[in-house]
Amino acid sequence: MERAEIHELSAAYALDALEGDELEAFEEHLARCAECRENVATFQRVAAELAYDVDAPTPPPALRDRILDQAAAERPKVVQLPRRRWAFPVAATAAVAAGIAALALAFWAADLSQQVDELQADQHRANEALIALTDPSASLFALEGANGVLVVDEESGEGKLVISGLESAPAEKTYEAWVIEGETATAAGLFTGGDDQTVVPLNVPVPEGAIVAVTVEQAGGVEQPTQTPFITSEEAT
Amino acid sequence: MARGLAHLSDEALVALVARADEDALAELYDRFGRVAYGLALRIVRDPALAEDAVQEGFLAVWRSSARFVAERAKASTWILTLIHRRAVDLVRREQPRRAEPLEEVPPPSGDDTEEEAWLRLRRTRVQEALKKLPDKQREALELAYYGGFTQSELADRLGEPLGTIKSRMFAGLASLRELLAEEDYEEERWKEPRSTS
Repeated sequence: MERAEIHELSAAYALDALEGDELEAFEEHLARCAECRENVATFQRVAAELAYDVDAPTPPPALRDRILDQAAAERPKVVQLPRRRWAFPVAATAAVAAGIAALALAFWAADLSQQVDELQADQHRANEALIALTDPSASLFALEGANGVLVVDEESGEGKLVISGLESAPAEKTYEAWVIEGETATAAGLFTGGDDQTVVPLNVPVPEGAIVAVTVEQAGGVEQPTQTPFITSEEAT
Repeated sequence: MARGLAHLSDEALVALVARADEDALAELYDRFGRVAYGLALRIVRDPALAEDAVQEGFLAVWRSSARFVAERAKASTWILTLIHRRAVDLVRREQPRRAEPLEEVPPPSGDDTEEEAWLRLRRTRVQEALKKLPDKQREALELAYYGGFTQSELADRLGEPLGTIKSRMFAGLASLRELLAEEDYEEERWKEPRSTS
């Protein structure tokens, strides 16, 4: 009884109609109840649609400046990625982002009544991709030959390829990633693609000055690349 | 301004904001500032307070963007939720006349026709869906969302038991979800032949 009632509060919560003790109690419940988190997410999405039923006069231009000034003033709190690295990767990141956006849209359209479990595999990949992109200790490097980025953890040198819309490897073939330093190529992992988002954790670190490349190889992989890479990254710095 | 961010998804922009990218915040503001301000104004009914709500909301976006990743949400939902929360907090603190008609709303300026058209489309879509709800459900949703009333305040104001109000909000949002999802589906079908041509 009480349980059913508290579930019902996910609607009030999404409308910001809870206050004080009720709000606290529900948030505590929310931390333990996946079903309610699901409902809240859905209801917040619906509630946000209500935001569009308003007259939308243009806000005063000074408001934009105030927000950006204030944000800039608070900036030291957050880790800033060296700007220069974005000069090129942004274009590549856009493709990854487009893939993520497409996924997000698919969730919305495929709709809310659908079982979440079915979506979770896709969601998981999209999340992984986003997490890789937002990790503040990571550097991003552009890829040539595919939509995506190479993400390298600045401290550990651990690398990941995040690729959007990579077709499945041909039958009997595999994609193989390589970390290439000078003349030396080290096998860094096999993958097959075919998902909207492909996240490939590399099993060797990416040192400074190295690049990461991908070739198509015989299923099972090879020890040294036999083909010309079709994806190459910028040099890691 | 040199960086073209217009082609990035909202979610990608939030990812950049999480890396303290001010241009990305500016782009998000350019996408949602107007609807955010309109929403805040409808709730707080005072331009200066509405600006405060929008400012606090976007700064919340700036500060907590790293946490967005972990949540299962669209960036637009997340941003508008933050704006809504700030506006509701303000209106509760200030207690002006709530849920009364706003005296004057400056007419939307007609200089950005594409944005105008988009906003009008979104608005019509929600209005159509709201119209199909039972009156009492619609009333509960509107008073809560635009009026900033808590469920207890709503129960008092409408003279109904709290339990009734809770169920009404739940049923209202659930039906609205169905109505909006249904429409998405129709739109999808309608678009398909055009995109393949």
